[in-house]
Amino acid sequence: MVYKTKKKNLSFQDTIFNLQKYWSKKGCVILQPYDLEVGAGTFHPATTLRSLGPKPWKTAYVQPSRRPTDGRYGDNPNRLQHYYQFQVLIKPSPKEIKKMYLNSLSSIGINYEEHDIRFVEDDWESPTLGAAGLGWEVWCDGMEVTQFTYFQQMAGVECKPVSVEITYGLERLCMFIQNKKSVFDLIWNDEGITYKDVFHKSEKEFSAYNFEYANTDNLFKMFEMLEEETKLLVEKKISLPAYDQCLKCSHVFNILDARGVISVAQRAEYIARIRELTKSIGKVWIESQS
Amino acid sequence: MSELFVELFSEEIPAKLQINARNELKKNIKNFFIDNQINFNENFNVYSTPNRLVLHIDKIPNEIKLNSEEIRGPNVNAPEKALEGFIRSNNTKLEKIFKKNTEKGKFYFFKKESRKIKVSDLLEKNLSEILTKITWNKSMKWANYDLYWGRPLKSILAIFNKKPLNFVFNHINSSNKTFIDKSLEEGLKIFNDFNSYLKFFKQKGILIDQDLRKKIIQNKINEIINKKNLKIEQNDRLIDEIVNIVEKPAVIVCEFDKKFLNVPSEILITTMQSHQKYLPTFDKKNKLTNNFFVVSDIKDTKGFVKLGNERVIEARLSDAEFFWEKNKTQNLVKQVDKLKNINYFKGLGSYFDKIQRMRKLSSLISDDLLISKDKIEIASSICKVDLMSDLVGEFPELQGIVGGHFAKFQGFDKEVCLAVSEQYLPNGMESKLPKKMYSIALSLSDKLDSLVGFFGINLKPTSSKDPYAIRRMAISLVRLIVENETKIKLKDLIIYTCSAYRDQGYDFDTKKIQNELSDFIIERLKNYLKEKKIRQDIIESSTFLLGLDDLLKAYKKSLCLNKNIKKIYTNKQKPFNNFLENYNFSIKNGYQVKNIKYFSQNMENDIFAIICLNNARFMYGDTKDIKDSKQCLEMHKRDNYKLLKTKKIPDFLIYFIAYEK
Repeated sequence: MVYKTKKKNLSFQDTIFNLQKYWSKKGCVILQPYDLEVGAGTFHPATTLRSLGPKPWKTAYVQPSRRPTDGRYGDNPNRLQHYYQFQVLIKPSPKEIKKMYLNSLSSIGINYEEHDIRFVEDDWESPTLGAAGLGWEVWCDGMEVTQFTYFQQMAGVECKPVSVEITYGLERLCMFIQNKKSVFDLIWNDEGITYKDVFHKSEKEFSAYNFEYANTDNLFKMFEMLEEETKLLVEKKISLPAYDQCLKCSHVFNILDARGVISVAQRAEYIARIRELTKSIGKVWIESQS
Repeated sequence: MSELFVELFSEEIPAKLQINARNELKKNIKNFFIDNQINFNENFNVYSTPNRLVLHIDKIPNEIKLNSEEIRGPNVNAPEKALEGFIRSNNTKLEKIFKKNTEKGKFYFFKKESRKIKVSDLLEKNLSEILTKITWNKSMKWANYDLYWGRPLKSILAIFNKKPLNFVFNHINSSNKTFIDKSLEEGLKIFNDFNSYLKFFKQKGILIDQDLRKKIIQNKINEIINKKNLKIEQNDRLIDEIVNIVEKPAVIVCEFDKKFLNVPSEILITTMQSHQKYLPTFDKKNKLTNNFFVVSDIKDTKGFVKLGNERVIEARLSDAEFFWEKNKTQNLVKQVDKLKNINYFKGLGSYFDKIQRMRKLSSLISDDLLISKDKIEIASSICKVDLMSDLVGEFPELQGIVGGHFAKFQGFDKEVCLAVSEQYLPNGMESKLPKKMYSIALSLSDKLDSLVGFFGINLKPTSSKDPYAIRRMAISLVRLIVENETKIKLKDLIIYTCSAYRDQGYDFDTKKIQNELSDFIIERLKNYLKEKKIRQDIIESSTFLLGLDDLLKAYKKSLCLNKNIKKIYTNKQKPFNNFLENYNFSIKNGYQVKNIKYFSQNMENDIFAIICLNNARFMYGDTKDIKDSKQCLEMHKRDNYKLLKTKKIPDFLIYFIAYEK
């Protein structure tokens, strides 16, 4: 395979292209980002729902991920309320997955033989998804560049067969490749456009929205409405639209959380409510798979 | 004589699971050899790297002889089918079966001749089960398989007497091969003995033996710190973790910008240790330096590893520095009001409510401890403010400590700062214990408020579940009292805490909480004493009918008895039979506590015991001597005696407590 890696460091978009090409050759369905606000690539139905049930599945895609509480108005060099994950999901987990992963690093210019690559224990849990997995965070010279997880449970259901999920934090990975101290200094393309050019204004404005202007009364109402809608769609046994409504619930909750209007006790309650929705959707999905 | 050599190759197993798996494998294989009466070198070892779990035992015979034995079959009156089955299962013929009378009746028997069994056969038959018996604290499944293992298991190499052992463990067939490239899981190579295996990997710089890795890491570190005139903190847990996440350790010295040393050192140390597994260094005055160690799993020939790690710490420390600079100037007192928005616990109000209660409580404690009421009230008021800071958001494990630094920066009294910093200490059995009065008072009031609160809303731990770590809280409370010899009236304090909750409108049943909490705390004291290796009978006797205000007394009593009882029991004569007789004897002859040294060498055991007991009482401050033997006899008749007798407590202890009551 020929990748564009030589001479100068890979741009942000070339990193994405190379990963897509690499995993495409490995037989993955290359998808586009899901068109709803989600907190991580895991929330894409191509991961959550497709990891459930007996049918084999391989996919890779970029997913813009929103973490309203992590916004810093574009002032912090390492923190964003919107960033990109590159997500790979393969079911059942292949025997040679580690080799596949290490070679994927080579495809973006990281020679694993020259760096201290470590698989550091990091078990993963998502209370809203009712999901849990065992695996590692992968360190490259002390920098966490990837999450590597074997799903054990999703939507409250035990996974059989087990999927493996590989999540690259694209900004961090590129900061490593391009040797940058600030995410905003990342080179986006060969024309010299930077991450700052593309996203700084958005970080600033969305931080203001998430922390100051989001109308919390309306959001609380929206949560109730979306929850009701999800339940209705679950009854109709259409899992995908139901899951969309549930994702919206989850994002509304994240904004309310960022606005600081949810107390500790309420927080647990809201998370439990979303988890119940996910579980009921998972059930409907599995029924449709067998 | 032969060696058994097994290697289980897997994806990277976390350090703690590795250590556990080594112990489990060692235990299971040992039991197998003992159960089957096979000789083996008991000094064997189990080794591991993140990817390889390796067992090596030598001095094993190739064959074992099984003596002839008579095997009992079915009763002679049993249906014929049973006899047929018995013949079949023993692989024999009807002619070889005989009848014999036993206590339970007449039975068929079969005499198995003595025979030899190959150990390799036994191993092939049993290894799979031995591996199945490994219990993992946390395990997982992968792909389509049903096997649970720490991380995906890829291959099994098993050799006995230089020949492969063939067995099947779930979906994996054993062989004499393993992957030599752990990253790509490539390069299958045959090994026939442990030594060539060790040697092969050593040439590649890979050390299979964890103890050797540890030694090499420590030697290298020591070499560097001696040269640079530095020190490192003894941190076994971190070192053990590091040792078990590398296979070819290379120690690299890195640096961070000195400007970060202005940030409180705990923040820097936590970043390095728990987030990055680095070893921070200190100068001769124990001040943190900007040098730190990275243990890499690769030789850093191009300098990438050093550069990369220095960049990582730079990013992390600038984050920490940013938050420190931002948070330290935010006025603690002005923020107290904002605690109203932070829930302490569902059903127990906000943190603002909590500190109001703590303020009342600590002020009452200050009377007992003879410290300034004003100062402890200030400490109580500001102690939870740091929970709202970015720094505690980033470093939750530094709650309190960070608050202490804020207080110090804002010019609060030294003792107040220390109390804020130490408010969560001790945290369980092993943790550091605060020694200063203000710290003790604040920590006590924090824990008492929590305990009363959780009991008040009926969230007591059950025998199996303790999600809020309430037991640890109570053990910490016990430690604060007994180890610091803190003289407080715990019973009153609990009642007072209840009333502080009631003042805030909580409908707490004081009597109920007081009773339940009292039992609970005394139960923790017993556990605590058990951890301290105090004999169970001494624990029972010294905590018998104990009141909450006497924790310290019970602690001292049991400690002293435990110390002396060893002396008594090492004299293997029958002690204490004639307790009263000897007791009277000793009284008559006027043996006094002060003469203990002399008498311990010369007198009979029983008398010595009594003196010990007197001594015990003397030591914990009650100088009354046993004067009246009649009184003791009365005690004898008391209900206590009967009750204690059922607990199998030696007589002399019973008298001891009886006298105390």
